Amino acid sequence: MAPIQSLARTAPGAARGPRRRRFVRALPYLAPAALLYAYFLAYPMIDAVRLSFFEWSGFRTESPAFVGLENYVRILTKDPVFWTALTNSVIWVVLSLVVPMMISLLLALALNRRMIGRNLFRSVFYMPAVFASITVASIWRWIYNPTLGLLNETLRTVGLEDWAQQWLGNPDIALYSIFAASVWQGVGFGMILFLAGLQQVPPEQVDAARVDGAGGWQVFRHVSMPALKPTTVVVIILTMINSLKVFDLVVGMTGGGPAQSTQVLALWTYTQSFSNHNFGQGSAVATVLLVISLFLVVPYLMWSMRSDKE
Amino acid sequence: MTQIAITPPGRAGSTSGFPRRRKKPRDYVGIGLWVALLISAVAWFVPFAFMFLTSVKSKADINQLPVWSLPTTWEWSNFVGAVETGNLWVTAGNSLVVSLIKVPLGLLIAAAAAFALARFRFRRHRLLLGLFAVGSMVPVQIALGPLFNTMLSLNLLDSKFGLILPYLAFGVPYQIFMMYGFFRAIPDELEESSAIDGASTFRFFWQICLPLAKPALAALFILDFVATWNEYAIAATLLQNQSNWTIPVAVQGFNTQYTTDYGGLNAFIIMSAVPVLIVYLMFQRYFAQGAFSGAVKG
Repeated sequence: MAPIQSLARTAPGAARGPRRRRFVRALPYLAPAALLYAYFLAYPMIDAVRLSFFEWSGFRTESPAFVGLENYVRILTKDPVFWTALTNSVIWVVLSLVVPMMISLLLALALNRRMIGRNLFRSVFYMPAVFASITVASIWRWIYNPTLGLLNETLRTVGLEDWAQQWLGNPDIALYSIFAASVWQGVGFGMILFLAGLQQVPPEQVDAARVDGAGGWQVFRHVSMPALKPTTVVVIILTMINSLKVFDLVVGMTGGGPAQSTQVLALWTYTQSFSNHNFGQGSAVATVLLVISLFLVVPYLMWSMRSDKE
Repeated sequence: MTQIAITPPGRAGSTSGFPRRRKKPRDYVGIGLWVALLISAVAWFVPFAFMFLTSVKSKADINQLPVWSLPTTWEWSNFVGAVETGNLWVTAGNSLVVSLIKVPLGLLIAAAAAFALARFRFRRHRLLLGLFAVGSMVPVQIALGPLFNTMLSLNLLDSKFGLILPYLAFGVPYQIFMMYGFFRAIPDELEESSAIDGASTFRFFWQICLPLAKPALAALFILDFVATWNEYAIAATLLQNQSNWTIPVAVQGFNTQYTTDYGGLNAFIIMSAVPVLIVYLMFQRYFAQGAFSGAVKG
């Protein structure tokens, strides 16, 4: 990167000329993406924040009425489902940082070695990630089927009848049943990222450590782990963001039930706006979700772009 | 899957990149690890096997036979029936049209924008890049309500074009972020010499930068094709008429309308995933080659 930066001051071609003219010349390349982004992404997001200060059914015949912070007061004090959704989202983020990330890392470390069938193993673990989440929800709903599903039938066959239960019908465990499906689907992607990160572990350092008598754990602790640090940051942030986005799996498996016990923020904003025709409170939930997301995304981006200073 | 490493089991334990010693003793740790991996892989495969078994069983077999037994008669007609009930050709056609327009067009738009941000170095280009990146990471559900209103007022609800526009808006930012690094790393000397040879900025973009970014474009193509084919939340919000449904909406529709047709549902799911599996296998080479190295450099 260093030589490129030192040349930047005498930049040729595209970067020639005063900075304002450069922007004008960059505009044709930039405009399509910028317009699409502004109109179909940024504007709806900002409009959601605006609508959170209004009361509106969402029907065009009715116009939104300004109510100030009323929607926030309502979701914070009078809407127990909001708190369930918030708690579930937090649980999901924390669990995702532990379970699938650990499995991904272990798989990547194992599958970074040479072995028979390595690529086949990698493909099997990655394959669920290619399926749509809504499809994965269908598959697992069938696996969890109380009477005919794979899980309960297998438990009965091996003599664990007592364990068989309503995996998605029991409010105490439904969220974790859905989470299991997300682990099955999600570890492949983390594994691929960690494998890419392991390519950046310098083999000479591994050799040197071995020659100095380091064992497997010591090599991992003092050579692989430091080299994996940037990858780990990326995986952590992506895991947290993706946990906040969980929607399809819940819609497909429980729809937020039973008794709203599997509600999450991303689904609750949708349900409030479209099913309950309460765009105001739905938008207030959306705004809360937006703020949480920005708290995670912005520091990460500042960190990842720090190396790109001109 | 294309190139399975054929290594004798005794060598399985050596860390890649580490030169093997002569006459290595049998590596029990490596063998144990391999067995553990095999068991996990089988466990990971079980849902697929169960899905396939269900898809070829008749209703009677599903109700009476133990889950793991083979069907008494192989009920391939489930697949024929699912094509009919799930309206597979129409929905797959919709998904294919949307994906085949959105993915290449999106990559082109993103490449152009990434080129502008990486090569022109105008004031505040990093701020703009950051704005795009933020947009690529916030949950789409935040925008769904207002997006519905926007599409309603544009009279674009329930149409393929009206689906492609937000798909582009939500897909392009991430691709810009990924390609920015690629274009940024192209040495200035290359641009200088192409300018001396009389090439315009556009030719430099089209004939030098884009071909150089081919590995990144290939990786983004798979990721984006899979993501577009599988997208549910936006499609379910904007599409109403069944004849406009895409595959994920149809899967969920099948699921809720024919709740007890397990054979048909699983047959439908298998068929609906064929295109993404093909794309994934076709491009897997690029995928494995560390096309993600850009993502993890930090």
